[in-house]
Amino acid sequence: MRHAKTLGLFALLALGTAAAQTLTVGLDADPPRLDPTLSSALVDRQVLNQIFDKLVDLDQNLKVVPMLARSWKVTNGGLTYTFALRPGVKFHDGTPLDANAVKFSLDRHMTLEGSARKSELKSVKEVRVLSPTSVQITLSQPYGPLLAVLADRSGMIVNPKAAQKAGKDFGNEPVGSGPFVFVSRKRQDNITLEANKSYWDGAPKIGRLVFRPFPDGDVRYANLLSGAVQVINPIDPKDISKLDKNARFDVMNYAGLGYQGIHLNTARAPFNNKAVRQALATVIDREAVDKVVFYNTVTPATGPFAPSSPVYIAGSAPKPDVALARRKLQEAGQSNLTFTLLTTPGSVTTQLAQLYQAMFAQAGINAKIEQVEFGTLLERSDKKDFDALILGWSGRPDPDGNIYEFFVTGGTNNYSGYSNKQVDALLNRARAQTAMSARKASYNVALNTIRSDVPYIFVYHQRNVLGMSRAVSGLKPIPDGIMRFKDVSLK
Amino acid sequence: MIQFALRRLLSTLPTLLVVTVLVFTMVRLLPGDPARLLLGEEATPQALAELRRSLGLDQPLPVQYGQWLLDALRFDFGTSVKDNASVAALIADKLPTTAELAVLSMLLALVIALPAGLLSALNPGGLTNRVVTLLSLAGISIPNFFLGILLIYVFSVQLAWIPASGYVSFAEDPLRNLSLMILPAITLGTASAAVLTRYLHASMTEALTQDYVRTARAKGVTHSRVLIKHGLRNALIPVITAFGLQLGGLLGGAVITEQIFSVPGFGRLLVDAVFTRDLPVIQGMVLTSALAVFAVSFLVDLTYAAVDPRIRYQ
Repeated sequence: MRHAKTLGLFALLALGTAAAQTLTVGLDADPPRLDPTLSSALVDRQVLNQIFDKLVDLDQNLKVVPMLARSWKVTNGGLTYTFALRPGVKFHDGTPLDANAVKFSLDRHMTLEGSARKSELKSVKEVRVLSPTSVQITLSQPYGPLLAVLADRSGMIVNPKAAQKAGKDFGNEPVGSGPFVFVSRKRQDNITLEANKSYWDGAPKIGRLVFRPFPDGDVRYANLLSGAVQVINPIDPKDISKLDKNARFDVMNYAGLGYQGIHLNTARAPFNNKAVRQALATVIDREAVDKVVFYNTVTPATGPFAPSSPVYIAGSAPKPDVALARRKLQEAGQSNLTFTLLTTPGSVTTQLAQLYQAMFAQAGINAKIEQVEFGTLLERSDKKDFDALILGWSGRPDPDGNIYEFFVTGGTNNYSGYSNKQVDALLNRARAQTAMSARKASYNVALNTIRSDVPYIFVYHQRNVLGMSRAVSGLKPIPDGIMRFKDVSLK
Repeated sequence: MIQFALRRLLSTLPTLLVVTVLVFTMVRLLPGDPARLLLGEEATPQALAELRRSLGLDQPLPVQYGQWLLDALRFDFGTSVKDNASVAALIADKLPTTAELAVLSMLLALVIALPAGLLSALNPGGLTNRVVTLLSLAGISIPNFFLGILLIYVFSVQLAWIPASGYVSFAEDPLRNLSLMILPAITLGTASAAVLTRYLHASMTEALTQDYVRTARAKGVTHSRVLIKHGLRNALIPVITAFGLQLGGLLGGAVITEQIFSVPGFGRLLVDAVFTRDLPVIQGMVLTSALAVFAVSFLVDLTYAAVDPRIRYQ
């Protein structure tokens, strides 16, 4: 009996400390797949990054920094990458993380049926184990973005034993070597992780990390205010200033990697005419968009590279010029231009579409708004069944991921049907170069042509905005938008 | 009674078959390609084709339907496209939560509606009647999402009495479970209460004017006995139907309320599945909701027959 009492007391104490150290994070969706190979949803990455270590990571300036790989050498004209692995790293189940595990993981990313990593790793020819702490990747052609790709899901190393045993179910019981260990998940309710006490880079400061999905922005916000969660990511633009004024909370607002704007279908009338496309781009008032829709929380854009990108070219966005737009339309013989603007439902997208519509109307352009749900939008963009469509890109740390597939002839995301041989050559050259300065020069030339051809109107760069309780400290603003909780503490 | 029950069960079979055809075709009519949504914006054409094949989406529709129906008869609704879990297991996991929410809401609705409906029927034109009419009109008109957010704002954010969201099963922690379920149950229950009150008021008012009530009164039966035995028993028949419809609807998924309070139930799973075009999950869930409605209406008919013996022999 006394034993039972003592045990009960210990249990209470343990519960007490665990409760004090629990950090709960509100996300905007339930992460569907906790398997780095099969994951295709952005929100997955918020959880995956806590469970799995990657070969390399990104710092606040988007520089690739060591993680599981202590160092690397690029030889053979950019075709061979040799990684020296950190010794003594263990997976959550205690098995050692060595070169064989790295090869297993990369091979799994490249071959597993339904893998969402195949296109990111398609230039990889072979992965070879040189020694227990050394791995070599050989490429079939030089691919500058490789390291940046390995700083995301493609570079995540899974536990071979657990992955082989679970197969496609691995996402239900993920085992990695990251700072947090997967404990449990209840769909649509929570994903619970616990600190990895023997983490190679020191144990995390919080004991327990819980992720909870709140698809509705108002509900997410109310849960932060009521103290049910300590961090919410993202926060709706309309709530930012309210939270800023509240002494109990902080708003973290930092640069992202993506861009948003309008695709123009160059494959059919009316936008197969360059002057018409230019007229449309000329009337967009980027500052008004920032002010009216986003309460001054986005950055006006002139290209696909966000201010955080190493190849970002500073310069203010052009001012709208209605007279010039009218001249362009006359030049194209289109004084009565009417077209359909395709978009998805949602308060922000609707507001944006209406604002664009009003801007076009100033130059006598009549835009009809058509709203379809996201799946249909993607399907119609594949089939080039649209005039103009509002669609952006969440962004990638390497510049290539933000420009290549969008503007190269036949690219996967080239919804505009754009094709320009000169641009193709420049984009391919940039991708084969490793020095960032050389790549920046190539992109600069390509962008001048793209801007003048206007297959896409760049409007703004979104930022990462999250709300959190003042009790939370140590969260670093990394432009990829992924929260890293290892050094986060809770007062 | 048993014969009535059997007859009633058999007559639902053709309807069920029609429901399966409808469910299947409706889900296929949803715009948007599931493979495209699943693989996202970076999908390559090869990967899309590979996924469509593995989902069986390249087969002709009748073949897909036949296969699905055969599996469904064995309670195998397939595997979720999105997270690779068995659809039957997903549903079994979510159904108890929603069932609890539905039962709590309906209990609350009854506790409110029975006295409110009776009192207002007994005082036609009186103050009680007017207050009840006003409140039930408000209950029917105020949308769930508005009431839900209002409740969170008042009780969680301002007063900090009740957690804004979350879920713990009753078995795990009964008190916490109830404290988390109370706001969603109020949100859903008040709307049902308003509907039931209107029904009860109308049918009770009508019953009280019937000849048998007057006869009973003339025979000197006590006031309360007239009200309960002669009035209420007859007035309840349409109310039972309304109750059944409300409960069936709730079991089908309290979609909006579950979203607002982050209750991990049937409704949230359904919304998630629709957004990701998770066809096997949508199909399994719509069929389960249809079955729930059938089951409830079957029980309602049995209750009906018990309350009013005339129905049994028709």
